[in-house]
Amino acid sequence: MTLSLKTPSAAALQNPPGARSRKSFHQRRTIINYLLLAPALLLSVVVVVVPGVLTAVASFTDWDGLGFSANFVGMSNFTDIFADPTFFTALGNNIKWVLLFLTIPVALGLLTASLLLRRKRTRTLYQVIYLMPYVLAPVVNAMVWLSIIYNPHGGVVGYLRDRGIGIEPPLANLDMSIFAVAGVDMWHYWGFLTVIYLGAMRQTPIEQVEAAMVEGANAFQIFRHVYLPNIRATLLLMGVMIVIFSFLAFDYVYLLTQGGPAHSSEVMGTYAYAFAFSSFQFGKAAAVGLIMSFFGLVASFIYTWLSRRDLTK
Amino acid sequence: MRIFKNKALAAGAVAAALLLSACGGQTPSAGGKQQIEMWFWGAPPAHQKEMQQVLVDGFNKSQDKYQLKVTFDNAVDKNIDVALAANRGPDVVYGSGPAFAAAYVAKGKLADMTPYSDKYDWKDRILDPMYESGTVDGKLYSLPNSLNNIGVFYNKAVLDKLGVGIPTTTAELNAAMDKAQAAGLYASVTGNKGWKPVNENYASLFLTHAAGGKTVYDALQGTTSWTDPKIAAAIDASKDFYQKGYLAGKDYSNLNFVESMQLLSQGKAPFMFGPSLAFQFATDSFNDKNGNTNDLGFMPFPNIDESLASPNFTLGSTASLSINNASKNKDGAAAVIDFMMTESFSTDMTKTWPGYWAVPLKKFDAAPDEFTGLSKPYVQAMKDMIAGVNEGHYGFFAGTFFPPATATAFDDIDSVWLGKTSTTDFLKTVDKTFAEEKAKGLVPPVPEPK
Repeated sequence: MTLSLKTPSAAALQNPPGARSRKSFHQRRTIINYLLLAPALLLSVVVVVVPGVLTAVASFTDWDGLGFSANFVGMSNFTDIFADPTFFTALGNNIKWVLLFLTIPVALGLLTASLLLRRKRTRTLYQVIYLMPYVLAPVVNAMVWLSIIYNPHGGVVGYLRDRGIGIEPPLANLDMSIFAVAGVDMWHYWGFLTVIYLGAMRQTPIEQVEAAMVEGANAFQIFRHVYLPNIRATLLLMGVMIVIFSFLAFDYVYLLTQGGPAHSSEVMGTYAYAFAFSSFQFGKAAAVGLIMSFFGLVASFIYTWLSRRDLTK
Repeated sequence: MRIFKNKALAAGAVAAALLLSACGGQTPSAGGKQQIEMWFWGAPPAHQKEMQQVLVDGFNKSQDKYQLKVTFDNAVDKNIDVALAANRGPDVVYGSGPAFAAAYVAKGKLADMTPYSDKYDWKDRILDPMYESGTVDGKLYSLPNSLNNIGVFYNKAVLDKLGVGIPTTTAELNAAMDKAQAAGLYASVTGNKGWKPVNENYASLFLTHAAGGKTVYDALQGTTSWTDPKIAAAIDASKDFYQKGYLAGKDYSNLNFVESMQLLSQGKAPFMFGPSLAFQFATDSFNDKNGNTNDLGFMPFPNIDESLASPNFTLGSTASLSINNASKNKDGAAAVIDFMMTESFSTDMTKTWPGYWAVPLKKFDAAPDEFTGLSKPYVQAMKDMIAGVNEGHYGFFAGTFFPPATATAFDDIDSVWLGKTSTTDFLKTVDKTFAEEKAKGLVPPVPEPK
């Protein structure tokens, strides 16, 4: 076995063959990376960016959705919407929706997930049961509630009325309708949150939990000071998703009340839908859609800001 | 390898060509017939079967050039909107009425049917007001498939039990409803559960019977404002009616027509106010098996303004039929529509499906006694309506004759009933919406009542 040591030339030192090949390797990899990204990027542009831009453009026109011609109307769609009391009812209901969903299903989900942590044998079964309303189609859930709960003849409401309890069907009540609809949506959603929170809690290092127990912490203290900090990122992400989904709420409102009675359960989704498919005012519907997106964007920015702040800590 | 590639390419091209030609819908179907497509709402299975037998099989046997295919679709309105916007969709366009057609005519989506009208003598066969309503600038673009009237369904057994006769005036009607409420019954049953545009029925009803068809006609012409005192009085009358509990009390939002018919048959109310098309929802509740077929009756709503001609009708259609301007088989589509504009088609369909097929013919000779079950009172109701329309005693159903945004504005009448807005503000919104649509030429021609 022999070793030979050669002194490299000055030119070779300035531009070594390894550096050249590394450079071309990086160039090749960059091209390959872009090529691999291209389908997803193209799909995003076609499915998200193009319709988004077209919606923004349509919001400044009187497009009726029937053809390709439209007139530019400036800000009049927006001024009409802001002059309409129904818009503020819808916006107020969306805000109520956010507040309800950020409290009731989140609290229920955290409580149930905490309880399931100790149920090692049966928690899989419970998770399947809790997920059932979530995996059922909204139309099925809506029919179940309309027929079995809210029905004044044969449902729980009817049963109570037949027994002399003067209960007014909540979907027909101006003050209750939005809560009655949100109740159905929360019923379908909280089980999903339970499963998500349980999954996150199970990632908590067991050493931390055991240390807290050795220190004499009770169940609530362990939850508050061990589990909660560990699932902070999940809580934050789900919170942002709840805010975004709440401003996009549509299906249960449409299926249960169509925004009625007298717009009392109107949300921006149903408000936009009526413009588009009942009045053929797609320009106004697009304007409402833009406003809805604005709130989702705000939530996304807050999430990004909080995430970056956590990273820099 | 190269040969293999070429063969693969050729096979791919052939497959693509076959696929594309199939998508185009122009390939003659089995038997060399051209396929005509029609999309229809997702009717119940029994009604779909009836339509298959009478319309599809009947039409296909009646000639050897075309093959009709009907697709039942619960979201037919929205799907037709989207398909027409993209210059696609069925050959025969099933729409919601002349107002629907006018919006599409403005965009060139519907074909001019005037040449077919001349060929098949539709103008001579169809009731003048209904024919005229389907025209735009003198050209025909749609024909209604059936007449519809907003009236009063009543249960004779319940009226007997209450000791009241069939009311002929609003005073008698209100007295009967008061008596029903005192007996612990609903004054009437109806509701907009699942379909908010049901509100248009009651807006139209009060416009016809309180403001009068002529006032509404003037408003539709733009010669009278929608804030006219007569129209305001009609909306106020509807509010009073609702607040007295005469529209299903507090359950208006919790009931639909099917449930209302069930309650009516169970004796929970003497009346159900609604469109004559609701006969189709009554067949499960009022039938020979239950022994109560003869309990159900239908009559025109009595006038609130007694100076109006009586009986008075809220003229409407259940749907409209047009030809897609993008269709490659317009002749075939016209042949299908012509098949549907006949008395034989109307009577065959009505025998088992009362409520939806009162073809608006000038001459409708079928006698109610030729029918059984609920078809009998339905045919009588439609014959009465044809007579009334020929005399010019009618108002207008918003869903048929009002332009789309104006009709949608009338959906908000429940905001007036529930005190969320005033009659004045409600009508100002209607007036503004109508003015915008009139400026765009979206108001269909409406027949002038007498």
